[in-house]
This record gives sequence, C-alpha cells and structure tokens, in this order.
Amino acid sequence: MHLSRNRLYGILTIACLAGYVWIYLNFSSYSIGNYDNINVCLIKHFTNVPCPSCGSTRSVLSILKGDFLQGFYLNPFGYLLLLILTIVPLWISYDYIKQKNTFFQFYTRAETFLQQKKTAIPAILLVLVNWFWNIYKGL
Amino acid sequence: MDAQKVDMFIMTNGKFFESHQINVIRERLIALDDSKWAMLSTVQFKDPTTSLIVSLLGGSLGIDRFIIGDTGLGVGKLLTCGGLGIWAIIDWFMIMGATREKNMAKIQQFLY
Repeated sequence: MHLSRNRLYGILTIACLAGYVWIYLNFSSYSIGNYDNINVCLIKHFTNVPCPSCGSTRSVLSILKGDFLQGFYLNPFGYLLLLILTIVPLWISYDYIKQKNTFFQFYTRAETFLQQKKTAIPAILLVLVNWFWNIYKGL
Repeated sequence: MDAQKVDMFIMTNGKFFESHQINVIRERLIALDDSKWAMLSTVQFKDPTTSLIVSLLGGSLGIDRFIIGDTGLGVGKLLTCGGLGIWAIIDWFMIMGATREKNMAKIQQFLY
C-alpha cells in the first residue's frame, strides 16, 4: 500500500526544488519585522486564523539569517523543514548514484512508525499545541 | 466463485474502484476460490467521496492523505501549509483517484 520508489523520489525532488525556489524568492524581499509579504496559506487567507505551519517560511528565513531564537519562536516546524530540505536531496541523489533504495525503505518504515497509536497521538498533540501557539501569537 | 455473487460484490463496491479496474477484479473474483468470499465481504474500503469532502475541508492540513494511509505525504502537506496551497488544490482533483488506487491495492491482497 505504498508509493513506488521512483514516484516518491520524483515527488520529493519537485517538492524540494519548489522549496528552494520559494526560499530564494522570499530571501531577498524578507526583512525581520515585515510579515505581510508572505500570505499563500489557504486557511489563513479565508479564515484569518493561522494554520499549524503558518510562519514556517519566516522561521526558515530567520534561521538562515542566523536568528535561531526568532526562528524557534516563529514556528518550530522551520527547523524540521530545513532538516528535510538539506537531508532529502542528498539522500535521494546518493540512492540514484548507487542505484539503491535506502531512502525508500526509511520512508516506508517511518510511515508505519508514525501510524502506530503510541507515536500518532503525541505527534497530533504536538501539532495541535503548535497550532494553538500560532493562533496565540497571531502569526 | 459464483458469477452472481461476484456481480453482487461489483454492484455494491464498484464505486470504490477505477472503472478500468472493475473488469479485472470481476475476472479475478470469478477465478477465485469460494472460501475467500467470507473474508472478502468483510473488507472495508475507503469511500472516495468522503476523502474528497475531507480534502476540501482539511486538505491544507494533509488530513485527506492521512485518512487514505499516505502518512508521509500527509506530513509533507501539513508542514508546508498544503504545499503552499498549490498541492492542496491539486489534491482536490487527485484524491478520489488516489483513494481508488488504495482500495485496489487492498483488494489485491485477496485476489492473488
């Protein structure tokens, strides 16, 4: 019941490329304190309530500019996204070069790990807590 | 398996599969042993319409992907505001097909 290896790698490559383009586009126009230029979130657009991952672009940009505390305050997901954006392209290109599927195996194992109740419930709670924090901060 | 039984199965569960897969399923079911019928009739399939509703309401949070079992993609959608809103909109059109693919993968365990 899983994606095929090549399809997953294709999706992730496109996603990472889109992420890098997105960061590049925002990097030049973003200055800390100017929050109004980033507004693509559907939830926030229609309801004016921030979603769980609102602020992660700003968080990633803050981290890249060296402001780690601000990055954590804006949205802790920024660290996770930055980690994914650095590790996934490297891992995928390693797999492509060596003709292996180590990342695919890791992905399927991580999926079954996340589907277990004992990890799913804390993860959902963490996301919810982060969401309430986002609403409280009024991102 | 009895053709009448198979046709009944197809009638009640046809909406859970892609139309081009139904013929294959029918042929495989007719060739299948009768003892698998009890197991087969208790399998729960995901309704594409339900996942479309969930996708329209909670697509930006990736809930539609979590529901059909694509946890990894769901996490991806959740962390990126539904892929900057673009992926969420694409999934409004993709999610019904994806649900049917998942159902096909599920029934395939019984067919072969």
